[in-house]
Amino acid sequence: MDIYLLEAIINGILLGGVLALLALGLNLIFGVIDVVWICYADIVMCGMYAIFFLYAQYHVPLPLAFLIAIIGIAALGILVHLFIIAPVLDSAPINQLLATGGLLFFLQSFATLLFGTDFRNIGVRLPVLEVATIYVSFARLIAFAVALIGAVALYVFLKRTYIGTAIRAISQDREIVGLMGVDQRRIYLVVSGIGGALAGLAACLLALQYDVHPFIGNTFGPVIFMICVLGGLGNMIGGFIAAFVISQIIAIGGYYSSTELSYVFAFTFFIVLMFIRPRGLFAP
Amino acid sequence: MPTSRRTLLKGSAAAAAVLSLDWRRAQAEAETVRIGTIYDLSGPFAAGGSVASSVGTEIAIDLVNEKGGIGGKYKVAAVKADSQSKGDVAINEVERLISQEKVDIIDGVFSSAHAVPLAAKCEQQKKILWITTAVSTAVFKDKNLHYVFRAQIHSDQYGQAFGGFLSEHAKAKLGMEPKDVKVALIHEDGPYGSGVAAADEVFAKQAGVQVVLKEGYSAAAPDLSTLVTKIKRSGADVISHAGYNPDITLFLRQARENGLRFKMLFGAGAGYSQLDKLRATFGTDIDNFCNIDPVPAQLLDPAKLAPGLGDLIKTMVERFKAKTGATEVPPHCSMGFNQTWVLLNNVLPVAKDKYGGFDPEAVRKAALDVDIPPGGTIQGYGVKFFPPDTPLSGQNERSTPVVMQNAGEHISVVWPTNIRTQDPVFPLPKSSVYAA
Repeated sequence: MDIYLLEAIINGILLGGVLALLALGLNLIFGVIDVVWICYADIVMCGMYAIFFLYAQYHVPLPLAFLIAIIGIAALGILVHLFIIAPVLDSAPINQLLATGGLLFFLQSFATLLFGTDFRNIGVRLPVLEVATIYVSFARLIAFAVALIGAVALYVFLKRTYIGTAIRAISQDREIVGLMGVDQRRIYLVVSGIGGALAGLAACLLALQYDVHPFIGNTFGPVIFMICVLGGLGNMIGGFIAAFVISQIIAIGGYYSSTELSYVFAFTFFIVLMFIRPRGLFAP
Repeated sequence: MPTSRRTLLKGSAAAAAVLSLDWRRAQAEAETVRIGTIYDLSGPFAAGGSVASSVGTEIAIDLVNEKGGIGGKYKVAAVKADSQSKGDVAINEVERLISQEKVDIIDGVFSSAHAVPLAAKCEQQKKILWITTAVSTAVFKDKNLHYVFRAQIHSDQYGQAFGGFLSEHAKAKLGMEPKDVKVALIHEDGPYGSGVAAADEVFAKQAGVQVVLKEGYSAAAPDLSTLVTKIKRSGADVISHAGYNPDITLFLRQARENGLRFKMLFGAGAGYSQLDKLRATFGTDIDNFCNIDPVPAQLLDPAKLAPGLGDLIKTMVERFKAKTGATEVPPHCSMGFNQTWVLLNNVLPVAKDKYGGFDPEAVRKAALDVDIPPGGTIQGYGVKFFPPDTPLSGQNERSTPVVMQNAGEHISVVWPTNIRTQDPVFPLPKSSVYAA
């Protein structure tokens, strides 16, 4: 096999890990609360800023900065639910979309106001692995591993715990589950917290690979939304696999044609799939 | 109801007050020239040099106003607009400046992607667009523009500098015949990046070097690792990169992580001119990279410029640092300042004195009269606009870029050879993490 093609495929898999982690939280929230957080990538941006200031400005040790960011963004997720989502929960879907879209612009503008438009970097340089002339980014390898562990942990949590069972039940029938003694509002808060924590976790891994600026969310937002829809909105396993499908189309398509065209291939694949399987690649 | 004398008096007094207020405002406006300034003050272009350009423009306007205004008589009032790094917003904001703010002259524009539609719009509405920063040749090429002017360099000149540098130094510095040198041209896919890459390709081929890869990408792409792999596969010795800030940092980071090695990287201004920001991320890794751009005025020898320009540059640098808190002054500050300075000092006084006002027709005629010899502006080049009915009508025919090279905070001019301040380091020294 062409060694460069192999390198492109490996890079595609690692990119898939980053995208899968981002899609995980968005899918969980949609699956349970039935509201699409268009602003999800911008909540990740908040986490990246938190890590930058804690680590690079206030010299908090990196693991502690990561922990604080995850907890902080989990809290932000709960606040978003309480103040933005809950009031429009019974409204038309378009109103919910506009509410989270409004939050997206608010977060971008607020970050610009607070931090300016500069690109900031935490300045952590992780080693590079070299295996038989193929180079692998350690930061991306970590992201890939964490995405896998995160997906498995979430799966176990949803399957093996009482709250997880309640979350799955509510995602199947939100009307009936209340009659079974499940407090829907509490579950919504738990899910928003977990979704936020996953955004915080993604922020930790992205901060190792990307500069943070108020508009970093625009880089990932459209792609992760496409991945979630492709995998079946709310279908966590579907979203996880779709992330790798899209990342491989981008990597291999880019290798054989051009970087620009690879995204055309990915979006064309998405559009065609929407005609064939409108509910997503892995919908039942 | 019959009008009483008291009511009539009250009404008359109020009307007189309003008329008097309006007359005073009209008088104040008559003494003020309102100029729209448009830059990306938010969004990804802001930190890529747009804010620095806007600060340069502000300083030029402040300095002119402190000396009494244009020709010492007419104060300049800037009406600011933020194009938010979005083309549609740029168009809407210019429409607002023209139709609501009633300005006849618009100064600024950072992104070439915005400059192309804005030039067409201003030309159609017969308003002056004075471009300070955007470089794409496509803005002017074969458009026969009458109301759009740019003293700034154009993207074809990046290619000239790139090809010129390689043909001059390949044999002497690399020990390679130009035909054996392989170059990869990568660029963001807007008019700026595409224009620079197209010019690079033409002039690289003229210089006889091999173009082994030419590829564009979206500046918002989340991943460029496949592009890095393709450059490795191409075996390029030299890379020319036209990009903005987020994509440049992503590319350089992934290039290091994927083991990309080369003999030299040439940036084409934009993100590569924001050296303090790049150094904050990459430290000494970016030492000795070349950057093609109009020169930051403070790097030039004031003795080679017209009298008084040395002091002007010093003032600009001091004010930029005071306004922004920056330790370095990027070329974009000089671009915003220089072009606006030419407008306020070489065009508008002539428009008023010779052509009777500050309306677009008078300004257009005055612009075509401008004849500043080389050494007559803070960026070293002269100004003479190509006249209508020529292929680059409205573009400055005397603008020139330079090739710069940095080592830490020290930046040197290394090409053209006749004005260089240092012999170029070429290829990258072995100590560089990117050195082939």
